[in-house]
Amino acid sequence: MPSSTAFTRRGFVTATAGVAGAIAATPLLSACGSSAANKGGVTTSKGLASILPDYVPLTNGPTPDIPIVTGKAGATSDPGFLSYPTNLVKTVSGTPGSGGSYSAIIPLWGTIPKAGNAYYTALNKALGTNLTVNPANGNNYGTTLPTLVAGNKLPDWINIPSWNNGQANTGELTTERFADLTPYLSGSNIRKYPNLAAIPTGGWQSAAWEDKIFGFPCWTSGNSFTGVLYYRGDVFSSKGINPGEVKNSDDLYALGAELTSKSAGVYAFDGLWYSIQQMFNAPPNGPGAFVIKGGKVISAYDTDEFAAALAFAYKIAKSGYMHPSAVAGDTNDGKQRFWSGKSLIEADGTGAWDLADDTSGKGANPSYVRSAFPIFAADGSTPTIPLGASSGMTSYLNKNLSKTQIEEILEVANYLAAPFGSYEYTMINYGIEGVDYTMTSSGPSYTKQGDNESNQAIYQQLVTPQSAVTNFGASDVTKGLCAWTGNAVKYAYKPTFWDMNITAPSQYQTAYSMAEVVDIVNQVTYGSKTVADFQTALANWKKSNGQKMLDWYTANVYDKYGDGS
Amino acid sequence: MSAISVRSGTATTETGPGGAPAPAKRKKARTRLPFRVRLRRDWPLLLMAVPAVLLVIAFNYLPMFGTVTAFEYYDYILGFWQSTWVGLQNFSDLFADPNFWHAFENTIVLSVIQLVLFFPVPIALALLLNSVLSSKIRSFVQAIVYLPHFFSWVLVIVLFQQMLGGAGLLNHLLLTHGMNAWNIMTDPGAFKYLVTAQSVWKEAGWGIIVFLAAIAAIDPALYEAAAADGANRWRRTWHITLPGMRGVIVLLLVLRLGNALNVGFEQFLIQRNAVGSGASEVLDTYSYYYGVAANNFGLGAAAGLFKGVVSLLLLYGANKVAHFFGEDGLYRGTR
Amino acid sequence: MSTALSFKAKPHKAPKRPVWEEKPTVVGQAAKGATLTVVVLLVVIPVYAVVLTSLSPQSSVNIAGGIVLVPHGLTLNAYREMLDGGVITRAMLISLAITVVGTAVSMVVSVLCAYGLSRPRSLGHRWILMALIATMFFSGGIIPSFIVVADLFNGYDQYWALILPGAVSAFNILIIRSFYMSTASELIEAAKLDGASEFRILWSVVLPTSKAVNAVMALFYAVGYWSAFFNVMLYMPADSSKWTLQYVLYTYVSQGATMPGQNSATAFAGKDQPAPLSLQMCVVVLTLIPILVIYPFVQKHFTKGMLTGAIKG
Repeated sequence: MPSSTAFTRRGFVTATAGVAGAIAATPLLSACGSSAANKGGVTTSKGLASILPDYVPLTNGPTPDIPIVTGKAGATSDPGFLSYPTNLVKTVSGTPGSGGSYSAIIPLWGTIPKAGNAYYTALNKALGTNLTVNPANGNNYGTTLPTLVAGNKLPDWINIPSWNNGQANTGELTTERFADLTPYLSGSNIRKYPNLAAIPTGGWQSAAWEDKIFGFPCWTSGNSFTGVLYYRGDVFSSKGINPGEVKNSDDLYALGAELTSKSAGVYAFDGLWYSIQQMFNAPPNGPGAFVIKGGKVISAYDTDEFAAALAFAYKIAKSGYMHPSAVAGDTNDGKQRFWSGKSLIEADGTGAWDLADDTSGKGANPSYVRSAFPIFAADGSTPTIPLGASSGMTSYLNKNLSKTQIEEILEVANYLAAPFGSYEYTMINYGIEGVDYTMTSSGPSYTKQGDNESNQAIYQQLVTPQSAVTNFGASDVTKGLCAWTGNAVKYAYKPTFWDMNITAPSQYQTAYSMAEVVDIVNQVTYGSKTVADFQTALANWKKSNGQKMLDWYTANVYDKYGDGS
Repeated sequence: MSAISVRSGTATTETGPGGAPAPAKRKKARTRLPFRVRLRRDWPLLLMAVPAVLLVIAFNYLPMFGTVTAFEYYDYILGFWQSTWVGLQNFSDLFADPNFWHAFENTIVLSVIQLVLFFPVPIALALLLNSVLSSKIRSFVQAIVYLPHFFSWVLVIVLFQQMLGGAGLLNHLLLTHGMNAWNIMTDPGAFKYLVTAQSVWKEAGWGIIVFLAAIAAIDPALYEAAAADGANRWRRTWHITLPGMRGVIVLLLVLRLGNALNVGFEQFLIQRNAVGSGASEVLDTYSYYYGVAANNFGLGAAAGLFKGVVSLLLLYGANKVAHFFGEDGLYRGTR
Repeated sequence: MSTALSFKAKPHKAPKRPVWEEKPTVVGQAAKGATLTVVVLLVVIPVYAVVLTSLSPQSSVNIAGGIVLVPHGLTLNAYREMLDGGVITRAMLISLAITVVGTAVSMVVSVLCAYGLSRPRSLGHRWILMALIATMFFSGGIIPSFIVVADLFNGYDQYWALILPGAVSAFNILIIRSFYMSTASELIEAAKLDGASEFRILWSVVLPTSKAVNAVMALFYAVGYWSAFFNVMLYMPADSSKWTLQYVLYTYVSQGATMPGQNSATAFAGKDQPAPLSLQMCVVVLTLIPILVIYPFVQKHFTKGMLTGAIKG
């Protein structure tokens, strides 16, 4: 997928709902006498630093048209490319594989392609392996993983999104079922695999558990932000509205009355929740999201900032300026509403701003332009934006694989990690020329077959190179997104437990999932429950098992390893 | 109809079959036959039952022992035997979890609503259909109303979505007539009635089959005599048809009460995303989502065991009530 | 058929109302007719609308603004798109295979068991019956079943896990058994006197005389296998190449997964693409077809198969 963050809307949104990252706490089992529980391991950031792979950016690739911007807290924007390079670089010589057969399972939010299609076959030929990737439904991947693990049918290679770490019990799996890749990848060992070495260090940090590297990072990014506040640029300019004048939440609210025209079925707002949280400086929240208060771990929900954000979301939902379908909680058709101009301002991930969006939007209205407000704070002060984990997903290898098999897979991974501008990247992302895509003056363009096969982000869920923003045929999209990110990284900060991998023991999983609270938070943002209902639910959660779980985090994570900063 | 056969099945085991010519005289002689003789005589019959017995042992009885996981912090890596034994900890976690009580409450409320709104429908339909004289019309209507029973829940819910959902027929009509849209499918408040409506749509037609049979078993001479006494249509229904169906109705009520905690599973699973867990969580989905999906198998197993035990108690209680009112209910103690 | 004939035939065919019963009132008849019509329409309209939408081109879906009630041209494009050998075709074949194999297994096991338990006072039949009936009232729940199937028997990701755990229905066995007990008892006695084996009796005496109950039970089992989706969700959600049609439909309907051709519908608009709604309804119809095909043949047996089995005994 040739866009900076190729998460789908849903994937991206959930991506930030889980703690991910890597100062590698212990697998953190309950004291149940398992062998895993005894493996404490020194888990300091120093310990991790000594094993992290070297970072060796590739030098022979194309130079980006829009360079990387480095902001605060190590946040970086992605490079932007406005045209497809004409002379593609070969980063891998020969075929990486030696004919081994491997199975892999990944989550997919798109259309599951036909098994054994032309694209798979061609890629397998290029890889020199018989790699069977089975895409499972991304939307219920979290309920799929526990059955897969409990059924004892782990494939050779599996993607586990960080937000599913609790359900999959990844912490315990790494010591019991997954292969330790540290000997192959730590320090200068990784230089044997130049494309892997070009993945920024943060990604490897996300793939580490207990001071060991266990997996390959997918979608590594120095700017995984949750919410971008989008507006219909074409409508704003035709109405003469200057988005630069929106400096705080009241300004935003005022736009509601100005833009809403119920008789025409046009509403100012769609779902804004993810941007509202940023405006009010609410910490990243949801299951497994915490902050430290008075030396204790508390739920990120349990903060004044979060309550203020929620109150504003409720106000928007009740204002009458939010599209009724959005109020009814229908998120599936949100993009459709935005494209057709039924709603004019919406919050979404950075992944929403891409070529496909531009094509679909222009299909509904030829003058369609997606634009984004630069981030601002609710009270007009200097804004902040929390960094998400460096990599939202990690793919792991089965412990049963032999050393030679692991080495073969490493070669395959090196091929799959080929960066933008390489011959291999084109193969992975576009497939076979003439079958899956055609080369046009502005770059490759998918055919219908390619749209169902090579455009589905399959192999990218195993390992992904440094992201690049590329939208050929829609340069404005690339420019807009790069400008927005380049600005946002300047206000980034690292939230509590950032890039730490933690799994709570299974008896806390129910409390961990916070199902009822999450549900009620959603309903408050739709206006069907009040902030008071939320407070009650949160109090109930703490009373049942929630507080116990928080105490466990204080004692076993915070007191031992700190907050990750 | 499930009730009848259950009862007949049980009754058969106790009183001997009605259909087969098994004269009581031979009874004594047979029971005295030594075990070996009986085995030599009956082994082919036993052999025939073996496959079913094996399957039932493997997939019904072994899981019953598997409920031991309810007393463990079950860890799939350590397995059944090595997981930590925690006694009643899962149950105390379960009873302290407001989500569990919420699921319990939802289950009971739904059960009551189904009892009130669903239960009478097949009875009324059966009476109505019985009063139709044309057998052609009758079998046509029967063929149509039985059909949804054979649809899967996924299918039924898609049909409802297309009719009542946000982009469905009803809302299309509402919007084109200038009214506000109402997405019933995602409205947590309406959910209880929505699922009951779905159950009625899917199962009420099929439900009439038992009642029609009960009506057919009533002696027509009774009606004639009543008519001769000047009883009109309504009075005949009230005094002859309904009493004739009484046994079946009570039996089904007993079963319904015994099944009060079984309000459906797939139906709720499918619609959970649309209405949220608040409205749609019932005991079975709780067991799945908090057990399997949240990787807290011990807790889920505890919820399942709790439900199984309470269901048994309910069944026992309902049957006692039936006896109290002089009905057979599901079973009678051995005579 | 000539009108005269049917008109003539009417008095003969007209249902007999007992002499003692009063004449129906016009109002009563009308109310009855109206109620029954509504009941029938409630079932028929959704099915009709879904089938029609699956056959409608994008233009009619646009005119209707959603589900189609009035046809404006018909097309099989949606079916072509979905049955081109992709996920749906595969799922359809898997579902059919599981249904056929599962029904065969269930019927063989159930018929054997029902007959084996149908002889009065045979050795141990009471105990076995009790054990069967007990399963109807108590179950260990989802999790112990999962652990037994997936962990103990290593059934995760295995097709048999979709068949064997639910292969035996105690309820169905009871119905078949009651039916067998109520029929052909003289014939059985006669065959026994001729020295026929139990298997022989089952095969050539009992089975031929109990077609109704066998047909109905086979339908019950088949529909059970065909309709199930949760077992896939539990035992093989990770391997999309093994999904059944119902599970695929579930992912489209409830999980918001995108269907083949759904993206292309917007990206390649105007190239004779079916509407996404038609694609979805096409999958729905595919799940319906086998039922609609078999149903009419078995439906006539319902009363006989179910009730003789159920009420006698």
